[in-house]
Amino acid sequence: MFKSIEEYLEALKTEMQDADPALIQDALADAREHLYMALEAKRESTPGLSESEALAATVEEYGLPDETASAYREIEKRTSPSLKRVAKPKTFLGAIFGVYVDPRTWGSLLFTFIAFVTGIIYFTWAVTGAALSLSFLILIIGVPFALLFLLSIRGMALLEGRLVEALLGERMPRRPLFDKPGLKWLERLQSLLTDKRTWVSLLYLILQMPLGAIYFSVNIVFITFALAIMAAPIAQIFFHLPMSTFGDTRIFFPAWALILLEFGGLGTLTVALHIVRGFGKFHGRYAKWMLVG
Amino acid sequence: MAEQSAYTKKFQKELNAGTSSLVLLSVLSRSTEPMYGYQIAKMLEESGPDIPMMKQGTLYPVLRSLEENGLLESTVEPSVSGPPRRYYKITKEGTSAFEEWFEIWKQTKKFVDVILKG
Repeated sequence: MFKSIEEYLEALKTEMQDADPALIQDALADAREHLYMALEAKRESTPGLSESEALAATVEEYGLPDETASAYREIEKRTSPSLKRVAKPKTFLGAIFGVYVDPRTWGSLLFTFIAFVTGIIYFTWAVTGAALSLSFLILIIGVPFALLFLLSIRGMALLEGRLVEALLGERMPRRPLFDKPGLKWLERLQSLLTDKRTWVSLLYLILQMPLGAIYFSVNIVFITFALAIMAAPIAQIFFHLPMSTFGDTRIFFPAWALILLEFGGLGTLTVALHIVRGFGKFHGRYAKWMLVG
Repeated sequence: MAEQSAYTKKFQKELNAGTSSLVLLSVLSRSTEPMYGYQIAKMLEESGPDIPMMKQGTLYPVLRSLEENGLLESTVEPSVSGPPRRYYKITKEGTSAFEEWFEIWKQTKKFVDVILKG
């Protein structure tokens, strides 16, 4: 049987190892919240019970790790992120032009725009916070300041996860990670400092600025280019604007070239949207790899 | 309770899959205050102490899926001792879903009872 709640949580984690890391994190948070409370109540209601008996009774009521794990898996099957339920296009044309109706494309586009702004905010926050935390460490306010800063990093990572799930359709944690209860300030700081995830989250937030800038620039360049090619024939036909001018010579394209240009623009836009969606897919996986697990 | 066979356990699990959502919505629709998981589990245990319906751990994923569907909403609040608690509250949509589900339940129950009595 289990010697401690932490041991139970470890067993639950092992039991769920093939599940989505975000789901595991949620299940652990739920179990931790419940078991600590239930064990406390069990101790109070039956004082004669030994520690191991109280824990065994609590676990018995909560369910063994395999039962709990299967309950989460069952429910998760029924509620996965809404964006994920996109049918795979069967035809070649469907695979190419399906990008226009795929909600993930537009989610990714929105995400890359938002990432440009959030990237700057994250970067500023992370760098300022880290620098101040380090320099404050010689002062009395150093420890609480560093603790608050590192906790804010956890919070921002969770928020970023929600953004990634909503816009990119990648399942991310819905519950924050909590430390073991009853820790003192210094112990809590120590556990935050020794947790790999704190540092990886910090790195993620910092890297978000260059990544956001890359996504944003590449997307903007491709999409503007495509839209410009498509707009040029319209400008010539309706507003009699030349395609180009050399000194006094105004160059107009023949009709067939205009049609070709229009299709060229459409093709470029399609490619651009595939790139947008590709960025989204990549970033979803990358965010999961960095922020979860 | 006597040891159950595997198919009895499976039957119980399948029944719970549908009824636990109804039970949780019912508890939260009657409560005026937001409730956290352990509180709900405790309340269920007290309402039917001799009927071990479901493991407490299975309530949490159901709560979460109800929230995901907009029938419940939740907030996390720190607690004096132990990890922070997630408080659940029923939404307007949840209340109307509960009323519909309750009707369906009554009909299903009536139908099953009629068939079982022969």
